[in-house]
Amino acid sequence: MVLVLALGDLHVPHRAPDLPAKFKSMLVPGKIQHIICTGNLCIKEVHDYLKTLCPDLHIARGEYDEETKYPETKTLTIGQFKLGLCHGHQVIPWGDLDSLAMLQRQLDVDILVTGHTHQFTAYKHEGGVVINPGSATGAYSSITYDVNPSFVLMDIDGLRVVVYVYELIDGEVKVDKIDFKKTSSNQSTQ
Amino acid sequence: MFKDKLKLPTPDKPGRIFPDRLGSLVMISGLDEKGNEIERSEFEFESGEELEPIKPGALGFHRESDDGDEAIDDEKDDKDQRIRKKTNKDAVAASVSVLKSILLDEKRSDLEYEISRREINLEKLRRIASTGIPNGGGLRATAWKLLLGYLPSSHDLWETQLEENRQKYADMKEELLLNPSEHIWKEAKDLSSTQQHEDNDADGPLRRHEISVEDHPLSLDKESLWRQYFQHTEIVDQIDRDLQRTHPDMPFFSAETSFSRKNREAMKNILLLFAKSNPAICYVQGMNEVLAPIYYVFRTDTDKQNAENAEADSFSCFVRILGDSVDHFCQQLDNSSSGILATLSRLSDLLKVNDEQLWHHLEFTTKIKPQFYAFRWITLLLTQEFKFEFILRIWDTLLSNTFGVQDMLLRICCAMLLCVKSRLLSGDFVANIKLLQHYPDDINLEYLLQVAQDISPDTSYILSL
Repeated sequence: MVLVLALGDLHVPHRAPDLPAKFKSMLVPGKIQHIICTGNLCIKEVHDYLKTLCPDLHIARGEYDEETKYPETKTLTIGQFKLGLCHGHQVIPWGDLDSLAMLQRQLDVDILVTGHTHQFTAYKHEGGVVINPGSATGAYSSITYDVNPSFVLMDIDGLRVVVYVYELIDGEVKVDKIDFKKTSSNQSTQ
Repeated sequence: MFKDKLKLPTPDKPGRIFPDRLGSLVMISGLDEKGNEIERSEFEFESGEELEPIKPGALGFHRESDDGDEAIDDEKDDKDQRIRKKTNKDAVAASVSVLKSILLDEKRSDLEYEISRREINLEKLRRIASTGIPNGGGLRATAWKLLLGYLPSSHDLWETQLEENRQKYADMKEELLLNPSEHIWKEAKDLSSTQQHEDNDADGPLRRHEISVEDHPLSLDKESLWRQYFQHTEIVDQIDRDLQRTHPDMPFFSAETSFSRKNREAMKNILLLFAKSNPAICYVQGMNEVLAPIYYVFRTDTDKQNAENAEADSFSCFVRILGDSVDHFCQQLDNSSSGILATLSRLSDLLKVNDEQLWHHLEFTTKIKPQFYAFRWITLLLTQEFKFEFILRIWDTLLSNTFGVQDMLLRICCAMLLCVKSRLLSGDFVANIKLLQHYPDDINLEYLLQVAQDISPDTSYILSL
């Protein structure tokens, strides 16, 4: 039972001052085992804050990040799943499923987490899953101003993962759940 | 066969500082007040002269008076006697141990007979058990289960009772110990056979199920399973740490083998289950020590089925043993009539009734309150004071007392004080505290338990009830 927090595109301090208070009250240390961050934090203070939530922090570089040392892409294995991480501004067209699927095949991962569009999406594609946790602060993007703060918490347990989507809509936290079971073979199935 | 070589000491030998009540007992057992083990069996088998080669220092006074007596006797004869004794010491020692093992076998067969009867006579079992249960075989495990009331006294009901209790334990485990994601998957599986096909749909956006009112990992809701789970991780950590430190000298508990890890895992489950089902006391450091002998005895049962179900059986027996003393663990009840302070003052009163001199010395002269040393003795049922084999033997007596564990516990604590009386009387605060907090392990256990059996109860307590 491994809890993995996926979030990104905070754009602190340029486009947003901080995470919404309701999110902050839920995110307490001690519950989460890993954090994967799609990037665009942008400053070190946000990095330190995330580090207090969980010591195992993985970040991919977004185009506005002030820390230049983050990698462009990252892969890690948690339980039976391989996760891939990338900010997403490198994948053109931004947010296009087929292009993201190419990246997923390239990285050879089961779950690809990318951001940049500031919109939550979750697709199932060829036996793998592409997740975009959206923007955790609700910062505006180059495409739209209408952004709801959102992030994702994955509960990885053996061959199945439950994805909890936390979204702040009209000041209320709404939680959705998505189930995904990995087929034991590596090839795409069904 | 050896009685003619030995001389019973005359009744009014000097050098004994015990009060008269215990005086006769001491005469019979022929030990010095430390109760040092000097090759004896449980009978009135006297070995007065025998003592000399072994413990000249402690009985120096004794020997002088002996010599005084014998000076009048034929000296040469005495010397011969001594020489004969020295060469025969080994023979005697050998015969003593043969006698011992004969007794042990007799006891073993007595116990086995008792346990195998259809209607077990608990009184008789108690009497035999209080003299010590032989190691090996499943005797101790079965005896303890009977004494604690886990197994009914009628043999035919054993099968069904065990089945029932073990099943209850498994159910409890499933209910309380499952982590939340397993819980959710279980529920989902129960409902979802129709829904399965939907998830196997082809590619495309994944279906979202709104669950704002249900449980999610970051929920701050009081009823949330997740929240309770995270609150318990602290207790789990504490239990883990304590289990690592339980009996580090015994590979059964502390090795890195998979057997020992399974033991720790089982003990962790038991303690966690106890903590969850008793939220008022939760887990207190030290409960692992009380659990250790129970689990060890049940797990090393030679009956395979019993050994496999040791976890379930240990849980029930652990709950029963803690039943009386659970108030000792609760801090709020410290000052109440069932709390630890009340028990400590009962110990003090018991000592006063049995040996006023020692009591006065401890309470007033050296100002040592029972809290300083007996707290651990009582709450942990003496598991931290002696080595493991001794603990098992002491617990035989504790569990087989007709008036309950607590009563015998206080008597044994009192006996422990009496057995080191001379050291206590000659010590000051520091020395006595040191002695009592690290109780010497060179005492004779059988002697200690015999003293405990003979302690007169504190009737003032009973009258005040």
